[in-house]
Amino acid sequence: MTLSRIGTAVAWAFVAVVMLFLYAPLVPPVIRSFAGAGGDAGLFVNYAAIIDDQRLMRAARLTVVVGFLVAVITPVLGLLAAEMVRVLRIPRLIVGVVLVPLFVPGISMGLATGLFFQSLGIAPSVLTITAVQVLWALPFAFLIILTVMASFDPVYREAAYMSGATRLQAFFEVEVPHIRQGLLGAAIFSLILSFNETIRTSVVQGGRNTVQTYLWAQYQQVGLSPNLFALMTVLIVATLLLIAVLAVLDARARPE
Amino acid sequence: MRRALPRIVTRAAALWLPLAILFVLILGPLTITLVISFWEKVGFSMRPGFTVDNYVTFFSGVRLQVLGRSLWVAFSSTLLMLVIAYPIAWLIATRVRPALVRPLLFLFAGPFLVNYVVRTFGWSELLSRNGPVNSTLVRIGLADAPLDWLLYSDFAVYLGLVTAYMPFMVFPIWLSLSGIDRRLTEASWMLGEGPVSTFVRVVFPLSLPGVFAAAIFGFVGAFGEVAVSLILGGTGYQLLGNAIQSALNVLHYPLAAAISSVSTLLMLAFLVLWSRFFDIRLFLGKILGR
Amino acid sequence: MSNGMRGALTRRKLLKLGASGAVVAGGIPLIGVPAAAASNLTLADIGVGDTGDWSKFTEASGHQVNVVSIGNAPAAVVNQLLAGGGLTSFNVVNIVGGMQEPLVENDLIRPLETDRLSNWQDNEYISRYLAEGTPGFDFIGYRDQFFGVPTVFQGDSFAYLPEETGELDSYAAPLDPKFRGFVALEDNYTTAGQKTALFLNASGQARIADPADMTPEEVKTVVDFLIEKKREGQFRVIWSSFEQAVNLLTSREVHVMDCWEPMVFAAREQGVEATYAAPKEGYLLWAMSAYIVNNPQASDEDLEASYQLLDFMLDGWYGAKITLLRGYMTNPRAVEYARAHPDEFTAEEAARVAEITEGVKAKFEKGGTWQNRWPTHVDAYEEQWQRFKAA
Repeated sequence: MTLSRIGTAVAWAFVAVVMLFLYAPLVPPVIRSFAGAGGDAGLFVNYAAIIDDQRLMRAARLTVVVGFLVAVITPVLGLLAAEMVRVLRIPRLIVGVVLVPLFVPGISMGLATGLFFQSLGIAPSVLTITAVQVLWALPFAFLIILTVMASFDPVYREAAYMSGATRLQAFFEVEVPHIRQGLLGAAIFSLILSFNETIRTSVVQGGRNTVQTYLWAQYQQVGLSPNLFALMTVLIVATLLLIAVLAVLDARARPE
Repeated sequence: MRRALPRIVTRAAALWLPLAILFVLILGPLTITLVISFWEKVGFSMRPGFTVDNYVTFFSGVRLQVLGRSLWVAFSSTLLMLVIAYPIAWLIATRVRPALVRPLLFLFAGPFLVNYVVRTFGWSELLSRNGPVNSTLVRIGLADAPLDWLLYSDFAVYLGLVTAYMPFMVFPIWLSLSGIDRRLTEASWMLGEGPVSTFVRVVFPLSLPGVFAAAIFGFVGAFGEVAVSLILGGTGYQLLGNAIQSALNVLHYPLAAAISSVSTLLMLAFLVLWSRFFDIRLFLGKILGR
Repeated sequence: MSNGMRGALTRRKLLKLGASGAVVAGGIPLIGVPAAAASNLTLADIGVGDTGDWSKFTEASGHQVNVVSIGNAPAAVVNQLLAGGGLTSFNVVNIVGGMQEPLVENDLIRPLETDRLSNWQDNEYISRYLAEGTPGFDFIGYRDQFFGVPTVFQGDSFAYLPEETGELDSYAAPLDPKFRGFVALEDNYTTAGQKTALFLNASGQARIADPADMTPEEVKTVVDFLIEKKREGQFRVIWSSFEQAVNLLTSREVHVMDCWEPMVFAAREQGVEATYAAPKEGYLLWAMSAYIVNNPQASDEDLEASYQLLDFMLDGWYGAKITLLRGYMTNPRAVEYARAHPDEFTAEEAARVAEITEGVKAKFEKGGTWQNRWPTHVDAYEEQWQRFKAA
């Protein structure tokens, strides 16, 4: 079976190459984060400067708050929408409407939503930013939940009802464990999308900046200062560490 | 039965109210966009009215080509991304130790912690004439001089798009594949089908919901892209998002609204066409009960 | 006045929500500052006008300043104010000037009562460069009224790497086939278009009456010329951000680039020898302008505080800081202030402020043409530029 052995090696080489391409563009920011460091100021001078930057800190706080809200609200809404598909049996209409924001170019959606809020008299706030990002993340979360529900046989729910469970019990104790992966995935997806969202947010943010809109504005007009690259490097390192921890925990949890 | 009424009300509130608000939030802005697209541009704002001038401007000008190009780029890059993402998802779903699955999936999500503009910019630094890639190529003798076409070309744009959106696609496909009941594939083997035809006739169709989701993610990402064309495109590589921004820059809201409406309607038309040819219930799997 | 859209928006408003939005927008608690007179101002700036440290203003006046980043594109500004709720959140907007027309037509900014600004009268830059009746006035005024306070002055040309190209002194350089493939243009039809027009006029290839305000036919001529050059492979890239432009110089990806002077400073800081050209056809002059937003939520105290902020931006400390940070000329007080306060500015910094200021003054003496951010036929400009980019 050497053919399969070779096949496996090729497959993994393929994955490695893809990973390389994904992580390659992260190298320049890491290098830039050390610009002007060393000597008197020390190697991590730009990293210390992150805290000094008031606007960056405020933006970071806003990003975290909004990210959390989006990650929690979106999967719930996605689940509700999926339930509606099941209950109402007009899949095409519901799927169509929920997916529509995906197809509207970012700027237009942001602008239109901004105008919509204005005409209703809703002033920009953390809520408007969250709303815009939830609208963007929802189609993704919805599709993920649909994907995972597609392989969940409602027969199990019926079985639960027949055993005397209420609708809520059946849902939480039978269905949720099965779709847990999807829900978690949807939440993380939403978090990632919120974290990357720039264009729509920049229109409805009013008097605030998120990290992304701040970076975008700086990038356009005055260039990125080294402490911004330092912030990104910190994020990359933190993420990689988290993944490593996760790997160790998972390995321990399932002894082979 | 007396307790049924409040129960129905709470159920309605829990299920329907948030969704109703959602629908309003989605359809409201879209209606505004559609309405504005028929207004006239007057000086620096607009006058409500009804005119198809904006659509005429759009269809008779160079922007139509931009739309065509955006569609082509989005379509071809999505295909490319699917071809790369599916094998990876399949490998993770079938060949990787369960303990490594989650970390591996997260590893694909890792790059997103960095602002995508900075990531795209990272590519322009890597591929520049005097950048690391070109320097290495010249040093090891694979090229006589720095390759110009690495950057500010179709190659660079596709590279930027694929590396930006492909990771999005791995997760839904994996989700689909990992949800497939093993007994189905085993049954197929027991019935005498080889691994290849088992894949084609059993595994792949069952993974279609994930593929559908992934294709949408990729297509939408590539179609709405603005930064990649600006940073890696070179001499004015225009995609639809850039055209809209350009119209907005002269405060031509009606024209921008017209372009947006056309693109949205086009996408919806595709979706409808798709659902004509492929029963959407195939993608919803067991949600509707079979 | 076309009130159109704005009229509809002001008719229905949720005052409570709006007011709380404006306060929360500050993000800075008002506790600890005398509540009666202190305002919480929101300054929307494109990035250039933020010194990073507004404590000097707060100490002097008692008001807090919350800075928000906005984009510089005309649409970004108007969008923010109209659709993005900026109208009720911002007090002062600091952007590149010349945008008064759309802002005033949409009722977004207030005319300036210049007697409320103590630093206005003796600001010789205003009287010399931006006087009424001169093209410079269009950067801060509209229809005989002053609207904006000039916070930054500059003259643009282009940058080049002298080691690769030798000395260059004409707008012919970016269009010179000698540098084919090593030229970058800015993605901005007003600047790139004007510079090309200046060149076409000077070289006799076209007769353009006013490069600052071209007719649709003239724009088409300019763009046709540029498309021809693009097809010949003259341009490597059309850049659209500061970061990208600096990178093009420091990586030597291009040798000649149509851009702003701060890019040259940034490149030099990174060790690359770059020069900003002194073209014989003259410079493209422009100024940044700070406007007071027509914010219906702002109280009279807020208005007074806004005037104090504008006054502060016309004063020495702010001027010197911005000149140092960004490399532009700001106001006449900057140079003396830097020299007179060795505790805040080192001798080198003071010298640098003087050097930059002299440099920009020389550009204004040399003259050229004022950049026109809002040409009469701006739609035609945009249409043609789209043609250029899609070619």
